[in-house]
Amino acid sequence: MKNWNKNIYRSLIISSFLGIVVLILLGIGKTLSYLNTGANRSSMLHLALDKDQAYLPKVTWKDTINPGRPIEKQTLLDIEKDYLNAWYVRQVAYQTNLTSGIDDYYTNSAQQHIIKNLEANKQKDIIVKGTTTNHNLLLDFYSADGQLAVLTDKNVKEYQQIYQKKQLLLETEVQSDYQIMLLLEDGFWRIRHMVKKESQITKDSVQIKKIAKVIGTKIYIDHQEFQIKGINYYPQKSPWDMFGNDFDIDVIAKDLDIMKTMSLNTIRIFVQYEDFGKAAVITEKLQKLRQVLDQAEAKDFKVIITLFDFYGDYSVLDWTLTHRHVEQITSTFKNHEAILAWDIKNEPNLDFESRGQENVVAWLREITKQVKQFDPNHLVTIGWSDIASASILQDEVDFVSFHYYQDIDVFEEVYKGLNTKINKPLVLQEFGVSSSQGLWSPFGVSEKKQADYHKQFQEMIKTNTIHYLSWTLYDFEEVPSSVVGSLPWRKHKQKHFGFIDKEGNKKKAFEFIGSK
Amino acid sequence: MSLERKHIIFWLPIFLVCCIGFTTVLNTAQQVSAVIETKQKVFEAGDTIALNFKLNTPARTQLFLHASFGSTVLDSDTAHYTLPEFVSNKKGVIHYTLLHDSKIILKGTIEVKANATNPVQLESYVGPPSIIAGGTDYTMQVVVPTDIYDNILPDSTAMRLKYQFLDTEKEEGLYSKDMIGWVNIFSYEQSGRLLISSKVRETASKEFSVEVFPSLPEDFQISSQRKHSYADGNQITEFITSVLKDDYGNIVSDGTLVEFKIKDKKGVVLQTQGGTVNGQAIGKILHPDHQDVWEVIAFIPGIAKSNVIQLEYASVLNDFEVKFSNDNREIVVGPLLSFMDQLIPDGAIVALKIKKDKSVETKIKSSSNGIVRFLLKEEFYPSGKYAIKIEALGVQKEFSQTPLK
Repeated sequence: MKNWNKNIYRSLIISSFLGIVVLILLGIGKTLSYLNTGANRSSMLHLALDKDQAYLPKVTWKDTINPGRPIEKQTLLDIEKDYLNAWYVRQVAYQTNLTSGIDDYYTNSAQQHIIKNLEANKQKDIIVKGTTTNHNLLLDFYSADGQLAVLTDKNVKEYQQIYQKKQLLLETEVQSDYQIMLLLEDGFWRIRHMVKKESQITKDSVQIKKIAKVIGTKIYIDHQEFQIKGINYYPQKSPWDMFGNDFDIDVIAKDLDIMKTMSLNTIRIFVQYEDFGKAAVITEKLQKLRQVLDQAEAKDFKVIITLFDFYGDYSVLDWTLTHRHVEQITSTFKNHEAILAWDIKNEPNLDFESRGQENVVAWLREITKQVKQFDPNHLVTIGWSDIASASILQDEVDFVSFHYYQDIDVFEEVYKGLNTKINKPLVLQEFGVSSSQGLWSPFGVSEKKQADYHKQFQEMIKTNTIHYLSWTLYDFEEVPSSVVGSLPWRKHKQKHFGFIDKEGNKKKAFEFIGSK
Repeated sequence: MSLERKHIIFWLPIFLVCCIGFTTVLNTAQQVSAVIETKQKVFEAGDTIALNFKLNTPARTQLFLHASFGSTVLDSDTAHYTLPEFVSNKKGVIHYTLLHDSKIILKGTIEVKANATNPVQLESYVGPPSIIAGGTDYTMQVVVPTDIYDNILPDSTAMRLKYQFLDTEKEEGLYSKDMIGWVNIFSYEQSGRLLISSKVRETASKEFSVEVFPSLPEDFQISSQRKHSYADGNQITEFITSVLKDDYGNIVSDGTLVEFKIKDKKGVVLQTQGGTVNGQAIGKILHPDHQDVWEVIAFIPGIAKSNVIQLEYASVLNDFEVKFSNDNREIVVGPLLSFMDQLIPDGAIVALKIKKDKSVETKIKSSSNGIVRFLLKEEFYPSGKYAIKIEALGVQKEFSQTPLK
């Protein structure tokens, strides 16, 4: 027994000794690695700052001929980058009332003007959330030693939201010219002087080749009145991921043939913001989109492309990134005959609560302008999720789109009410019912009832000549959680909106997919 | 009568409804509206800028200001606003928006101009700080005149730019444009120092200096200097350039690097170099240790070159003694005697090549007191017959079939 005790003591002493040694070694290691952290030598070269451009308004160099000396391409890029960064750090400063970054992009004496302004704003609890959407630069002067440049920035559009004590006070858009003097200091082109001037508003002439147009409450294509008879489309195997790895143009072509037999003429497809590469759109995705459009054109379909799917930031400082996204997509396809309209965003009104209605609406208003600027040939709409939101921004869009999943019996009444209120074409952009009867919803709609629903809708559509796109062609096997959440009964419902079931059999409703 | 009562019953509610309607109309007409009382639209930086508005009904209003360097908001109960200094002191257009209850009631712009009365502040930039003589290169002077609030003076501000170079003193008057006034100052044919200054109204800048360096040197001559013409491998030969000058007779800058290339009889190229001092560069190289003829040329790569000179070096000896002892395992070379039969200075190179069958080994030693001693140890060179070749100061001696025991 005594021996036992001895052994226990021994092992305790040995293990505690080992434990202490391990702890000491760990401690020394941690201290050494802590001492090795801190300012990296490469930070002296300002390399880290160049990693991500967070501010991408549209920049156009109108003229770089100047009396000083011809400018090198690289210097021009440097100036442009630092000048935009100067705007960016200033926007951030006014949004936070902190001066971080200002000293990198403004010289000592220029900083003072901003710092005084920020102090005053801080005292009164004012914050300004702002962004600029475009810059038209002219190089007035570039000195012989390459250390000084004078720019004129014409027609700078500045959008600002002014908050006082966290309350939105004012939303404003100002257009002005600026003349700026920059000095090259420590490798940065820093703003030394900045003078705002009144801008002469000039209209750039844009070549317009209208593919579709709206006159009154009617949509015309090639001078022919056009009624949208369509469907919201995802391939059966890749819902909410149409342009992913499973992309197969043959499958899409076959689906178009199926729709053609039911005399549909339009599809609505979705472009996901992140999937397409955010501010730097991935060429491969554009090529896939082009294949779809070409196929649609060949089979005489019109396409409504819904942009910004799953986008949800809307913050003012994120604007310019979304503008670059939309620029690359819309300008690529601005002459494509298959496109009927750009649908800016699917059901943006659902973000009103979480992101603030003023933020969402302001973003939509600006992005609508941007789309029309980059692609004047196609129509623009916004896919509101309910009737109540449909009148928002009705002056900005070409036709008003809304979704209807409420009581079918009051639809006609509601539609007529909306029709008198809005003086533009109305498009019933989504409607449908899920034949979800089954384990997760024993009292759900049966396939027969779904067929009745569509039959009734088609009758109303016929009597009122309504533009329609139903939801959706297929029942899906999988629905990503990002669409309806992860609750199984919700997913279950979302899986059964189709006209064709998982096995590829036409459901009873298929007969009423379109009006023959 | 009963009819009238009927009428009253009929008309009264309508009348009441109308009354309510009108009062609501009146209420909306009671919306705050404003006109600006301040007639002045253009101000000078440093002025106190007061913007007074007249409201139709007293109300608390706010004024949003959007200026060159940022935006701010002012509050007032009287609709009389005094702009803060950071706004009123900065040149540029100011957009203002008068608000009541988050609604815009009036918009407008005013403009602040640079202060014209206070003394001018000057910022000058001169660059590049060094240029080349000859009249094609230039330096640029950029003058940025501001007022005391750091506002750029308006375009067409008169300024005088001056410079001095040797005997020349010039003054140029010009007007600012795009924020700045600038002038290019071209170099003259002479090198020297250019002094630059500027003046706007009463304010003078400090003095700037720009170095005018000589232009590119022309081709030049070289000569050589040596203590004697013997190939003793000991003395140093110097190559000296003529004074290097540019096209305009300016002596090139000190430190201009001149390269000397030497080609010997066998076509081997040797090289030395030297930087100029007062226009002359000196390249130094050790004499060869054997009879040779050198061709020397100097140049500044890509810019200028010299003539070619030829140098002959005479051999210092025709023959030397070689003594074998210790079964030929100890070989003493020398005494090596130089041109006056003096012992050659220490350090002359002697090479011994020892060959057996196909393997050749070379041993190199330098002389001491005119003598070099080679020891061929038994451990390395087992007994047998060897071919031995000795080479010193350009002279070769051969001993074939030398037996080693």
